[in-house]
Amino acid sequence: MAGGLSLYAEGHSLLHRAHPLTKGVLTLSAIALAFTAPSATWVAGVLAVLLVLVAFAGVIRRLLAVAVAILLPITVLLFVVQGFANASNRTVVFGLGPIVYYREGLAFAAFAALRIACLVCATFLFSFTTRPADISEALMQRGLSPRMGYVLQSALQIIPQTLEMAGRIQDAQRARGLETEGSLRRRARAYLPLMLPLVLSSLVATQERAMALEVRGFGLPVKRIARYAFRDTTPQHVLRWALALAVPAAIVARVVGWR
Amino acid sequence: MSGPALVFEGASYAYEEAARESVSDVSLTVDAGEWVGVTGPTNSGKSTLCLLAMGLAPHFFGGRLRGKVTVLGRQTETVSVIERSSEVGLLFQNPFTQVSGARERVDEEVAFGPECHGVPSEDVAARVEEAMTLVGIAHLACRHPLDLSGGQLQRLALAGLLAMRPKLLLLDEPTSQLDPAGTSAIFEVLGGLHGRGTTIVMVEHRLETLSELCARVVVMAGGRVLADGAPGDVFNREAVQQRAGMPVFARLAREAALPGPLPVTLNAAVAAFARNGFG
Repeated sequence: MAGGLSLYAEGHSLLHRAHPLTKGVLTLSAIALAFTAPSATWVAGVLAVLLVLVAFAGVIRRLLAVAVAILLPITVLLFVVQGFANASNRTVVFGLGPIVYYREGLAFAAFAALRIACLVCATFLFSFTTRPADISEALMQRGLSPRMGYVLQSALQIIPQTLEMAGRIQDAQRARGLETEGSLRRRARAYLPLMLPLVLSSLVATQERAMALEVRGFGLPVKRIARYAFRDTTPQHVLRWALALAVPAAIVARVVGWR
Repeated sequence: MSGPALVFEGASYAYEEAARESVSDVSLTVDAGEWVGVTGPTNSGKSTLCLLAMGLAPHFFGGRLRGKVTVLGRQTETVSVIERSSEVGLLFQNPFTQVSGARERVDEEVAFGPECHGVPSEDVAARVEEAMTLVGIAHLACRHPLDLSGGQLQRLALAGLLAMRPKLLLLDEPTSQLDPAGTSAIFEVLGGLHGRGTTIVMVEHRLETLSELCARVVVMAGGRVLADGAPGDVFNREAVQQRAGMPVFARLAREAALPGPLPVTLNAAVAAFARNGFG
C-alpha cells in the first residue's frame, strides 16, 4: 500500500529540530539568492553552504540519490545543448570535424546547472528534515485557518490515496480477467476500464469524507489548540529576518550594478 | 443519562430527487444505555436510519424529512451535524473514507476529532492512548493510516470516534472488514462501552451476532420497521424469517424439526437440542 508523499528522514540534527518556518525561509531564500546572484562563483557559494547543511543534517546519501536521478540528466543535457548551440557561442574549446564545442555555452551551462543544483539541494534539504504535517501545523500556529491547513495537509496525501484506490480497482479487474500487463498497447487499453471507476469512486469517497469530517466536528468554531510546540529561539528569529532581508537586498544590488 | 437517547416519531425521509422514501413512517424509541441491533435486507433503510439519527439527512443530503427525529433531547433539524458530533458518533461502512486524509500517523488521526473540538492537548493525548488501546491499535501509533489493512483501518475509524467520547454511537456494520478474532475484540470493546452507559445502535447483517449481543433487535424492510423486540421473539416471526432470514441456530433447529420457539443464540440452541434428546 501507499504510505504518503513524505520524504522526511528521521534524524535529530539541528536542522531536524529547527522551526519549520526557519527551514522554509532558508529554502526560499537560498533559491532566490541562487537565481539573483550575478556569477557562477556566488551561486557556487550558496551551493557550498547548502551542501554543508546537508552533510550536517546527515542526509547526504539521500541527496546523492536524488542528484543522480534528477540533476545528472539535466546537467548533461545542458552541457551538450549549450556547448554546441548557445546563441552567443564564439570561442572554440574543441572541434571534431563539423561538430564544434564552445566556451560561452560551457560557461552558461555551468551557471545554469549550479542554479538548478541549488534549487534541488535546498528543496530536498527542506523535505528531508521537515515532516509535511509540521509545515501546516507551524503555519496554523501563525494564523493560517484550520480549513486551509487541512487543504494543505490533505493535498500532500491525495496522490498516494488515489494510487491506493487505483491499485484496488486494478486488482479487482485483474481478478476478473482483464490483462493489465504486457505490451504498451495492452497496458494503455487497460487504463480505460480503470479510469471510469476511479473517477466515480473518487467522487463518492470525497462526499463520504466530507460527511466524516462533519461527524468528527471539523469546522467547529472553537479556539484551535496547538498540537505541539515548536522550539523557536532568538537566533532562529534573527536568521529568518536576515535571510528574508538578504533577498530584496540582492535584487536591489543587481539593479544598481552588482556584477 | 436519563430519558430516551433517540426518538423517531412517524419519521419519513426521501433523498433529493428520489422517487420514493428510503425511510417511511418510522416510530422508534431507543432508551439511554440501550444496545439496539438493526438488520434487514439491502436497501431496507438501515443506513438512512443512521444518517437521520446523526442529522446528515437532511442537513448534508438535503431531501424531505417528515415527522420528528429527536436525539439526546434535541430535534435533529435544530442542531447542525458539527455541533452534534461531540455527543453522537457515526461509524460508516467504508473505513477508508472515515479517516481525515490529512494525518500521517495513526495516533494523530485518532486525535483529529478531539482537536477539532478544542480539547486541551494533554487531554487529547490521554483520550488517544485510551481509544487506541481499547480497539487494539496502540502498537500501530506511528504507522501511516494508508499503510493499514482494511481491518486495522476499521479499528482506527472506531478509535477516532471513541476518542470523542460520544454518548450515542451509531455503527453501520462496524466489523464488515474484520476477521473473526478482530470482530470478537471489537464487540468486547462495544460491550465495555455499553456497560459504562454508552447507547449503541448497530447495523449488522450477522443475525447470530445481533442475537448474542443485543437485548433488542429492530428489523427494517422497505424503509419501514418490520419488527422490534427481543431477538428470540423477532426471529421467530414468519414475516421476519421471510424478509431478513434467521440466525443459523434457528435454521438448524428448524431442520432438526425441534418444536418452537426456535433458539437464536448458541446457548439457547444447546439447551433446546439437549431438551429434545440430541447429544
